[in-house]
Amino acid sequence: MGEFELTLSTLIVVVLGGFGVYLLLPRGTNPSDRIARIVGCVLTTISLVLIASNFGDVLPNKTNELTFYILAAVSIVSAVLMIASHNPVISALWFALVLLSNSGLYLLQGAEFLSAATIIIYAGAIIVTFLFVIMLAQPNGAAPYDLHSREPLLSCTAGVILAWTLLGTLHYACNEEAKPLNQRPAGASSAALPSPSLVAKSLAGHPESVIREGKAHVDSLGRTLFLEHYVAIEVVGMLLLVAVVGAVLIVNRDPAKLTAA
Amino acid sequence: MGNLPLLNNYLSVGAILFALGLIGFLSRRNLIVMFLCAELMLQGVSLTFVGFSTFHGSWGGQVFTIFSLALAGAEAAVALALIVVLFRRNETLDISLWQDLREADQPPVLDEFEAAVADVEPVYPELTRSGLLPGQGREPGHHHRTIDEAIDEQRHEPVEVPHA
Repeated sequence: MGEFELTLSTLIVVVLGGFGVYLLLPRGTNPSDRIARIVGCVLTTISLVLIASNFGDVLPNKTNELTFYILAAVSIVSAVLMIASHNPVISALWFALVLLSNSGLYLLQGAEFLSAATIIIYAGAIIVTFLFVIMLAQPNGAAPYDLHSREPLLSCTAGVILAWTLLGTLHYACNEEAKPLNQRPAGASSAALPSPSLVAKSLAGHPESVIREGKAHVDSLGRTLFLEHYVAIEVVGMLLLVAVVGAVLIVNRDPAKLTAA
Repeated sequence: MGNLPLLNNYLSVGAILFALGLIGFLSRRNLIVMFLCAELMLQGVSLTFVGFSTFHGSWGGQVFTIFSLALAGAEAAVALALIVVLFRRNETLDISLWQDLREADQPPVLDEFEAAVADVEPVYPELTRSGLLPGQGREPGHHHRTIDEAIDEQRHEPVEVPHA
């Protein structure tokens, strides 16, 4: 497939998905809304299936491949429903589903600690805090301003252009990378991924950063964190402390009241 | 070195999540939903980082994602505090009510929904009454009744005090 056809097919698929999302975004409560939402669902699904058909046969065993497809589909569909739902509580719950399927994808890549941390920190703490604030501010569900999106056509156009740029570059780079070296056009290798030798050279100076098969996962991740990134760990700890103190001070505008109590 | 089509799959999912987060951030009006969409974009980037980490066999991507988790926690704390303060001031989470923050020479953006909201008569706050009664000019040699005197009179005999 030529470069032009590749770029054009990506554009068509992404525009299809973007138009589906445009139809799904909330726009008032008129009766034609339901039909538009159904058409939007169909278009988004077609676009997702077309993108998935580009994925091809990649994982070493079929069970892993099926798991990847299910998790990726759940993640993207929940993300669409999250930006399309009228009620912010339901949006937050769809986002929790995005997080759960993403942590499944991490697990599939062998990032066990990250998968657990995402569930505990994001789904367990951040989403619950969001739900508290939503209950505090908007206990009656959807407000009028939740039913009308702001410039849906323009924002979908922006999203389509971004997705087209990212996905088009990805497909192009992978197509080029799959070809033998002598068939690539001049200068194309710089557009694709960094060369393996470059990455290996940069990793040689940091022996703790190399993932070694067979070593305990959390053990070697901890070594990397505390041997090579210890300054950053301290800085992030400080940042969290400052953020918590700042949040308390922002909400309580009068610090004298805090000390009096 | 990892499997290139596999990396392509993870990067595609990350890119789609990022684009969806962008669409939501630009089109929704609710402050909390906008913030959730920013977190969705962060999730797309995290997925990309983990994909590259596996592809290159390096812990770097996973370490970066762990730091971005900590940053997301800090960001959520500060942003939710700001949202609570903004809500106390306006009693609504609608972002289009904060158009005062635009640049001085920019006209406000009013679409159909915002124009309908702007038509509603605003509720003005009750101010403390002070000074002269309205409708009285200043004339030399004439005793002007102040609001306080009018209220005092009203306490003794029920007289209709004209409000401003």
